[in-house]
Amino acid sequence: MNTLDSSRSLQVHIDQAGPIPLYGQLHCEAGQMVALIGPSGAGKTSLLRSIAGLLPMSSGLVRIADEVWFDSQLHLNVKTLQRHVGLVFQNYALMPHLKAIEDVALSLLDLPQLERLRRAQAWLEKVNITGELQQRKPAQLSGGQQQRVALARALARSPKVLLLDEPFSAVDQLSRQGLYELLADLRAELDIPIVLVTHDLFEARLLADQIAVMDAGRIVQQGTPLEVYKSPINARVADLVGIRNRFYGRWLGSDSSTPGSETGLLQWLAEPNATEGPVLKVRDNGNLQNGQKVAWVIQTDGLMLQNKTDPLPAHEEKYCVQVSVADIKHLGESSIITLRTNLVPEVSFRMTLTGPQRLSIGHKATMNLLLDTSWIHIMPMT
Amino acid sequence: MDWQALTLSLKLATVTLAMLLPLGLLLGRWLAYTHFTGKSFVEALVVLPLVLPPTVLGYYLLVSLGAASPLGSTVQDLFGVQLTFSFTGLVIASIIFNIPFMVQPIQRAFEAIPNNLSEAAMVSGLNAWQTFIRVELPLAWPGLLSAMVLTFVHTLGEFGVVLMMGGSIPGETQTIAISIYDRVQAFDLQAADRMALLLLTLSLVAVAASYFAAARVTRRR
Repeated sequence: MNTLDSSRSLQVHIDQAGPIPLYGQLHCEAGQMVALIGPSGAGKTSLLRSIAGLLPMSSGLVRIADEVWFDSQLHLNVKTLQRHVGLVFQNYALMPHLKAIEDVALSLLDLPQLERLRRAQAWLEKVNITGELQQRKPAQLSGGQQQRVALARALARSPKVLLLDEPFSAVDQLSRQGLYELLADLRAELDIPIVLVTHDLFEARLLADQIAVMDAGRIVQQGTPLEVYKSPINARVADLVGIRNRFYGRWLGSDSSTPGSETGLLQWLAEPNATEGPVLKVRDNGNLQNGQKVAWVIQTDGLMLQNKTDPLPAHEEKYCVQVSVADIKHLGESSIITLRTNLVPEVSFRMTLTGPQRLSIGHKATMNLLLDTSWIHIMPMT
Repeated sequence: MDWQALTLSLKLATVTLAMLLPLGLLLGRWLAYTHFTGKSFVEALVVLPLVLPPTVLGYYLLVSLGAASPLGSTVQDLFGVQLTFSFTGLVIASIIFNIPFMVQPIQRAFEAIPNNLSEAAMVSGLNAWQTFIRVELPLAWPGLLSAMVLTFVHTLGEFGVVLMMGGSIPGETQTIAISIYDRVQAFDLQAADRMALLLLTLSLVAVAASYFAAARVTRRR
């Protein structure tokens, strides 16, 4: 399985104003997958292309295992064809004139023809392209099948790193599920760093060990999905990773009523310049100044919706807010609910609910929302 | 039927094709893949022989390659070869007036290859030559075929430039197109008719065959 081996990890430091402005650091261990997420134009694909050597870099370092592919200080730049990267292009870039097996064999040109075709066949079988499908040209394959051929071609190169550029964007939901499973299996087997570019946050959380958030050419935060979702470094990252429940507040300092405790007071404000608002007791990390304006987020995992009649748990880290249902939309297996608080009337919570009970919740119903304050993450305003 | 003129025309077309093809490939591919200031000017130069009246092109070729010109006299002195009113001169003229027919379809064909295919080839470990042979050439093949057929057929039928540059010397510069003209001047319409029909059939068959082949290649993808 995934034994972490830092000697075969991918390390990228980039700090350049041109040809395309890219800044930040990316790190991926062998056997791990990092998902690069961010809005369109954030530089995700450019970063991937820089790693592959398809986009010239001006300043930085790309290192994989004990090989340096690019080092601006040493004026070192290994050519793409010598880098041994497996790259699955966004639209797969399969050769229109070649059969699947010939396309995969293209990555194996250094082998004798028979051996080349034998290996290509083995790789195609590994990605479940079997029999007559191997003799088909891209135009005769479905999107999902084309994607598998592209993956086989990338892997046949025996890459030191696998780069996937939005590989799931052009396939239907059904093939997508199959591909997720295939990728999960391959990941365990390949034991190389994998970088996945995606705009789908759900996909990123589902597949990746680490998430790297990009914005305006800069890698702003990298961490496990839980770290990034629970503790985004600023309000912009919170927005980018799709945290829906983000609020304003003011830090009132440590809680003097319980001296020596690591509890602080957060005043919940409807908007940054408001003065009135309820005060929540939260964990104090000691890095905020009294009176400082802050943004705070709470993950859905830290929220629990209850009927008004349900007993409240006697737990000091639970904060109960009375809410009314402003809107509920049922979508197949889940429902999106908008809850207006009575405490801070201008703000509302949005949650995704599952399970049969959700269907009994009526419009305008009054309920209790329990906030687990240990899930509250406070960020300085940016 | 003037078999000598037909043979000469076929020989001229073959030699022109063989000499212009490598040049056209290099120039067409270069124009497709590179961007530089003044590219439009180079492209205009390539198209020029297509829009110039054949007499104008023929006149300038006659003046610049003639025995009185520096180039013509130098070649004459060094190699003893006359560049006008000779087969060699016809080949040079033929190459020049066929440049647009050869270069343009090749340029368009290379331009139509999606950029990410060359990148995919590079990532797969192919060097520039392997990419050219295994990716670019098969994909550009329909365009290449059409360029070759157009050049060949156009050489068979060119009249104005050939007449200006070569006159009508049987066995040396009298191509089939010139021969038809001579027969008509001599009121030998029967011979002119046969040769014209042959040229018409040959041209139609060649162009149709190249279109058919190109469509087949494209359909098979």
